[in-house]
Amino acid sequence: MYIDVYGDTLCALVSAAGLASSGHNVSLHVPEGPAATTLANGGCPYREPGLDELVTEQTIAGRFKLAADGAPPDERAAIIWLALSPTDIDLAFEIIGKLPTESGRSWVVVNQSTFPVGTTEALERALGELPGSESTQRVAASLPDLLIEGAAVKSFTAANHWLLGCDSPWGKRMVAEALRPYNRRRDNIMMMRPREAEFTKLAITGMLATRLSFMNDMANLADMLDVDIERVRQGVGKDPRIGDSYLYPGCGFGGLSFSQDVMNLASTLKHSGIQAQLLDQVLRINERQKESLFRKLWRYYSTDLQGKKVAIWGVAFKPESARIDNAPALKLIEALWAQGVQVHVHDPRALPALAEWAGDRRDLVLHKDPYAALVDVDALMLVTEWDAYMSPDLSHMKATMKQPLLLDGRNIWDPDFMKQNGFEYFGIGRR
Amino acid sequence: MTEATDKQWEELIAHGQLVEKQHLADFFAEDSERFNKMHRQFGPLMYDFSKQRMTAQTLRHLIDLADAHDLQGWIDRLFSGEEVNCTEGRAAMHWALRLPADAKCQVGEDNVTAQVHGQLQQMERIVDQIHAGQWRGATGEVITDVINIGVGGSDLGPLMVTEALNDFTCPTKHRLNVHFASTIDGSQLSQLLRDKKPQSTLFVISSKSFTTIDTLTNAATALQWLQRSFGKRASSSILHCHFIGVSASPHKMTEWGITEKNQLDFWGWVGGRYSLWSAIGLPIALKIGMHGFRRLLAGAHDMDEHFKATPWEDNLPVLMGMIGVWNTNILDINALSILPYDGRLKQLPLYLEQLEMESNGKSITRDGEPVGRSTCPIIWGDVGPNAQHAFYQLLHQGTEAVTCDFIVPVRRYHEAQHHESAGELAAQHQLSLANCLAQSRLLALGDAALKNAEEMPLYMRYRGNQSSSTVLLDELNPYTLGALIALYEHKVFVQSVIWGINPFDQWGVEMGKKLAMSTLAKIRGEDSSLDDTDVSTAGLLRRIKAEWKS
Repeated sequence: MYIDVYGDTLCALVSAAGLASSGHNVSLHVPEGPAATTLANGGCPYREPGLDELVTEQTIAGRFKLAADGAPPDERAAIIWLALSPTDIDLAFEIIGKLPTESGRSWVVVNQSTFPVGTTEALERALGELPGSESTQRVAASLPDLLIEGAAVKSFTAANHWLLGCDSPWGKRMVAEALRPYNRRRDNIMMMRPREAEFTKLAITGMLATRLSFMNDMANLADMLDVDIERVRQGVGKDPRIGDSYLYPGCGFGGLSFSQDVMNLASTLKHSGIQAQLLDQVLRINERQKESLFRKLWRYYSTDLQGKKVAIWGVAFKPESARIDNAPALKLIEALWAQGVQVHVHDPRALPALAEWAGDRRDLVLHKDPYAALVDVDALMLVTEWDAYMSPDLSHMKATMKQPLLLDGRNIWDPDFMKQNGFEYFGIGRR
Repeated sequence: MTEATDKQWEELIAHGQLVEKQHLADFFAEDSERFNKMHRQFGPLMYDFSKQRMTAQTLRHLIDLADAHDLQGWIDRLFSGEEVNCTEGRAAMHWALRLPADAKCQVGEDNVTAQVHGQLQQMERIVDQIHAGQWRGATGEVITDVINIGVGGSDLGPLMVTEALNDFTCPTKHRLNVHFASTIDGSQLSQLLRDKKPQSTLFVISSKSFTTIDTLTNAATALQWLQRSFGKRASSSILHCHFIGVSASPHKMTEWGITEKNQLDFWGWVGGRYSLWSAIGLPIALKIGMHGFRRLLAGAHDMDEHFKATPWEDNLPVLMGMIGVWNTNILDINALSILPYDGRLKQLPLYLEQLEMESNGKSITRDGEPVGRSTCPIIWGDVGPNAQHAFYQLLHQGTEAVTCDFIVPVRRYHEAQHHESAGELAAQHQLSLANCLAQSRLLALGDAALKNAEEMPLYMRYRGNQSSSTVLLDELNPYTLGALIALYEHKVFVQSVIWGINPFDQWGVEMGKKLAMSTLAKIRGEDSSLDDTDVSTAGLLRRIKAEWKS
């Protein structure tokens, strides 16, 4: 089949490469941005095991190609595959509005983007408004992104299950046919209505967020009760009814898919005054958690931070990302600035995004070398758990910092070991 | 009293003897142009005094009387920073608090405009930090509740304005609530402390002298509440994070423990009941933002300029003040009811009670002599539509002559936040407007406003002839409210000039505070003698002490 994939997300790249690997002819349309630039230069914007190789391999095979900016879909294509960023909802409608409609072409739009519940149906209505819809098939289907990061390629090519939300028998057949190569051992496509598929994705994200906020709540109690949350986490995770994923306490989660916009159900619901009460609280706890390192620093220095220098390691909303959407570091930096603190930041990839967000400021200094960010600082805050921060040069750190105070927002260091090396250490729910 | 003033008074009294025989219904019957002649517009304010028991001739007499009392001279003295508060030896320059930044105001050595705008900037810094969600409690939590602790002028003005301008609430990053605690018995404070979190509550301690017992005792309770939560060791953090002080006495604030950067100052020349324009207005700025606060100041400033420069016959504060003199001294009307037809102005009657009665409730002249005529009437009021179900019976059919000020905005509910139910609410406001006009009409005309009234039994009839003024605001917003308050401030000043009294002191409220201290010692048993009081007080004290013992 000829398939046109749209998006610059990890999901877009994995789906495009994955589809190509089983023989489909895939054109990938990438909206302007850093990911588009990297791809155009032959690089891979996401570090995922096997992804870079797969893209290269399929490009050489000729089944994976980058579409030119603004190019129409392949003239043989009937499937439009949307894996856009959650903020790109307008782009989705724009893509549909520009679909060629000559000679009665039928279209199925597969939506993998995380948009509010009801969006896929709205996309289908937009399709129906195109010329010639009466005599052709114009269908939108929801196929939520269920990728597990770190095993993204495998979670496409050997997916445990698929959620397919589609009301049209023709549309279901088309999508099932596209997925047939990854669906051979047993039928693992779960059929439902589009809004049910979207809602399931929301419920999954919400459940994961709830686990994180719950653990953060526990960590804050652990702080008060002199309990080490790490041991608690391991004990809880061993329980087979619970399992050990998404139980890591930390200084809050960021990213687009956890944002308030995504968690808001269809806008009709919002106006009717019905809210997801628990989810609302979960996100509130998370916003508060983003300032937890600030609160520790505030108390450590007896509520006076005027003129202090603080280093932050990691501002990307998660490791391996160059993005800072809803990142905890942003709230921290704002809180520090408001108290007259000069902030020194290191991040392997997200510094350009941070510089753009912050503008030109005298109280923000960006460093390419993590140790350069530590010169004469009164504290170091570890906010994003990049691998390179796991085992830093402690003697170098200690010699560089003015005050050897470590605020570990991801509990990546061992408290006792740090103390033996002459640091004062505060984690999330442990010290 | 000079010969000139005596002469004007005599003429006015003689004129009054003719006018008071006439019924308001007759005035309206005689002159279809009465409204046109007897209302004035200034900016968004219309002042209608056509339902006052007076004629065009009365107005001329009142203007002559104002001139005879050198009103212009006194206005000049007020606005030049002279010591018009003679018993306390200081100026009364609340008007300077609303000067625009480019105005020149030099009094002695001081560049007053620069001082005022310096404090406004200081205020802005604090307001911005709180609005950004960056004012932190001792544990680093964001402050979401601000409790203003103050009494009198440090309470009534900010409370009245924040309630009135609730529709203009400034959007903030986190929810922000502003509360008020004033009473010495801790009634409001205890209620607030029950459901507020110490970690996210900020107290604003407002007191001009920073010695007011009511305020300091509430402040001490607040401090102990925080100390119980954070532990005594955290005292410096508590003071650093949870208290802002507003006072004309910086060293008293420092003594109490307010951190220097959390201090907002104002000056001796700002009277307590004239202080909402100063840093005492911090709760207002927290509610409506600095932009809104500056609009409030702008409205008041424009009224100042109008008062200074407009001929008496078109000068709203002068007209309002002189009509008050006419009612009090010629028509013997000793009660004024303030009746806003807008629930947002619920606190306005309480505010004006202080402004008028604490200013002009006096009987010794500036020359130290007893006054020869009545001064400030008794003032009270409530939201009009509610008062209709309470004390209007007395206005319509009682034996007392009462004059009323009806205050109502023409437009309401067109702001964005009312969008969804704007239609229904606008209809409610129309109903309120209709009631306002109907009541003032019936009060003025009595049976003449009704059909076939003479067929009714006496107990169903309306005497009428109760005078009133109506202040129509285009809408209630920071600017119009600023102008309205300044209108009353200057009205009070005009009357004080005619009555020859100092409106800026309040010696009548001093001695009670002192007596309370010696009485407290008796209640607490530190002073066991009861014989140095009167038998009534001694009897009450015995009963109270018996109860506290058990």
